[in-house]
Amino acid sequence: MTENKKYTWNIIFKIFRKKAGQPAHYDQFDVAVNPDEYILDGIERIWAYQDRSLVFSHACHHSTCGACGMLVNGEEKLTCITTFRSVTRNGGTLRIEPLRNFPVISDLAVDMTGMFERMHAVSHRPVIADTFETSRGRKKEREDLLRLADCIECGLCISACPISATSADYIGPAVLAGAQQPGTFGENVLNIVDSEDGAWRCHSAYECTRVCPSNVDPAWRIMDLRKKLVLTRVKRMMGIKEKT
Amino acid sequence: MSEQTPKAVNWMKWFDPRSRGVGMWAFIINRLSGLGLVLYLVLHLIMLGKLAKGPQAYDQFIAMMKTPFWIAGELLVVAAVFIHGLNGVRIILTSFGIGGDRQKQLFLIIMLVAGAAVIFFAWKMFAHAGGG
Amino acid sequence: MYKPRVIVIGAGFTGVALAYDLARRGLDVVVLERGPLVNGTSGRTHGLLHSGARYAVDDPESAVECIQENIILSRIVPEVIEPNGGLFIALNEQDMNYREEFLAGCARCGIPTRELTPRQALELEPHLNPQLKTAVTVPDAAFDPLRLAMAFTASAQFYGAQFRLFCEVIGLTGNHSSQISAVQFNNRITGREEVIEGDIVVNAAGVWAGKIAGMAGNIHLPIRPTPGIMVTYDKRLCQLVINRFNKPGDGDIIVPQRHFITVGTTSFEADDLDYIPVVQEQIDLMYERGCELIPDIKHTNQRAAFMASRPLLDSEAVGGSLTRTFKCFDHKIRDGIDGLVTITGGKATTMRLMAEKTADIVCKKLGWQAECTTKENILHSYREFIFQND
Repeated sequence: MTENKKYTWNIIFKIFRKKAGQPAHYDQFDVAVNPDEYILDGIERIWAYQDRSLVFSHACHHSTCGACGMLVNGEEKLTCITTFRSVTRNGGTLRIEPLRNFPVISDLAVDMTGMFERMHAVSHRPVIADTFETSRGRKKEREDLLRLADCIECGLCISACPISATSADYIGPAVLAGAQQPGTFGENVLNIVDSEDGAWRCHSAYECTRVCPSNVDPAWRIMDLRKKLVLTRVKRMMGIKEKT
Repeated sequence: MSEQTPKAVNWMKWFDPRSRGVGMWAFIINRLSGLGLVLYLVLHLIMLGKLAKGPQAYDQFIAMMKTPFWIAGELLVVAAVFIHGLNGVRIILTSFGIGGDRQKQLFLIIMLVAGAAVIFFAWKMFAHAGGG
Repeated sequence: MYKPRVIVIGAGFTGVALAYDLARRGLDVVVLERGPLVNGTSGRTHGLLHSGARYAVDDPESAVECIQENIILSRIVPEVIEPNGGLFIALNEQDMNYREEFLAGCARCGIPTRELTPRQALELEPHLNPQLKTAVTVPDAAFDPLRLAMAFTASAQFYGAQFRLFCEVIGLTGNHSSQISAVQFNNRITGREEVIEGDIVVNAAGVWAGKIAGMAGNIHLPIRPTPGIMVTYDKRLCQLVINRFNKPGDGDIIVPQRHFITVGTTSFEADDLDYIPVVQEQIDLMYERGCELIPDIKHTNQRAAFMASRPLLDSEAVGGSLTRTFKCFDHKIRDGIDGLVTITGGKATTMRLMAEKTADIVCKKLGWQAECTTKENILHSYREFIFQND
């Protein structure tokens, strides 16, 4: 292991371990780090130099793929963009666990197949026109330009949501936010989100917006979605046909 | 400890504020105050039942209610009513897309108003209790 | 009818594209990958879908491959691509000297370009350095690395390919020393060792291809691990890919993606395959070079900094310069060991082509008649990827 004089902090990692057929436990690793590098770097070094059996998910290392979400001291973080300085200090302990509310594959890696299925079911478009949209309004920037949507399907919001903790059927904040894209709903999407397991199940805990690393603001989008659903229902009751 | 798959028994997680933000505190306090108000309702009905026993029972009961312990209890009810009611209004507003980006501030304001109400009612109730 | 089985080692871009091509051709495919999808070099790509303009002068073979594959990928997997094009920017006289050969090279390679005045360029991209001398549009694009791989993976799964993630290959064996017919691996989920048999093994392990090939016998592969740095800043200051007008050098590309931009890259040698530390001097260099193209980077925060090792091919003649094309090694011809083929080198933009050429060789070796059908058909949605836990 190379000695790096920039690694000025010593951090104690307590990492959740779970292999098939064995009880879950925590392993401790001492790692020298630079306070301004990212938690994922520390985890990768643990794998490279201390324990090759550690299983964890990662791909892009720059917050576009959404693979490296984990709990850091109980709080949802995207570890490739979370610095040590932002969560602890020299000599501090970091408890690293897999995201909540997803099946654990092994150690820190979780299976997000279910979330991807649901995103697919609500037809969230991964590439959108470059419009800037927040709870304060919609501002069209460059309609002729396309970009990848803000949501990176990292699952942090689903992990933080108290309703997702108690219900596997609840669609989840990421998916509801995904359905909120501009445009009218197809019938099957409407059935999914306008249901008791859809937009009406949210209880406004706001944890989803708080932990989102990508400016999606799912809490606002779920409320906006409710408005759309109510309008859609009213229009139907009054017999107004939707232009599709 | 992680490895949590979604299931109804995780309802206890609803009351765990560690590493959670203001929105989650509001969620927890809303549930606790709601449960508290239900409990209060039950006690209230029991009390009404006692009152049916006649004027002497009523006087005994009122004397008890002026003791500090029960006044404190009533103040908890005041707090619960204000918090639960105002938070309910906060949720209604944000559900209609009003003030969602200021939900934290709204909640803090609610807690301050509830706190002020408790202080006001405490002053009034202890004054009455003192006066006899 | 007996379907030959191909075992692909590595689920980087090469492995997933190859699995898709082979599965479409009707073969039984199993992919073994020690980590999650694209956790090595491929995941950490800059995310640039090359127009090839960058190679038009010095490496026209690579440039032509790029533009052709750029058009194909844009057609078959648009859901992971930001198709807004790119700009080459000249900032000084030295940059301007490159202009003529650049334009001529692009024309020769069939890469459409259009020159803009500085004012036009600044209208298109207001955050560019206002000192720019000229700008040329090229059909660059940006892509999401994991989702690109997931799309190929989901499509391969649709055609029956199996992806065994978190399975680390530890040995290549056969009935005798000059024939590979089975792969031993450690299932990192269960912690147990397993063996699977196959008719041919394709080593698509990228930077680790040498390590894998060495498990089969005395094989040496001329792969030079060449890491480079990327630094991401937290504002989307450009909509198009911004390139510096010069011969390929350090920090001369800025790729936008979602609501941030990434500046890259450098090129240096490293020994350790599994971990390359991020070095502050290189971060500073990217910041400096990035600010030359887009001065407003000064007003952003660093969002991420990361390293990845490219598997560049050493030219096998006396240690010459590294080429950016790819090569397929048939180890029967090269090392007298049958049943093993290595595909290495290359870049993300040409992944489908690498897979096509490798699949052609694999089918030929197996005596399996099937043509490539990956050019024309749109891929399945990346969201159809299923984690297979068995």
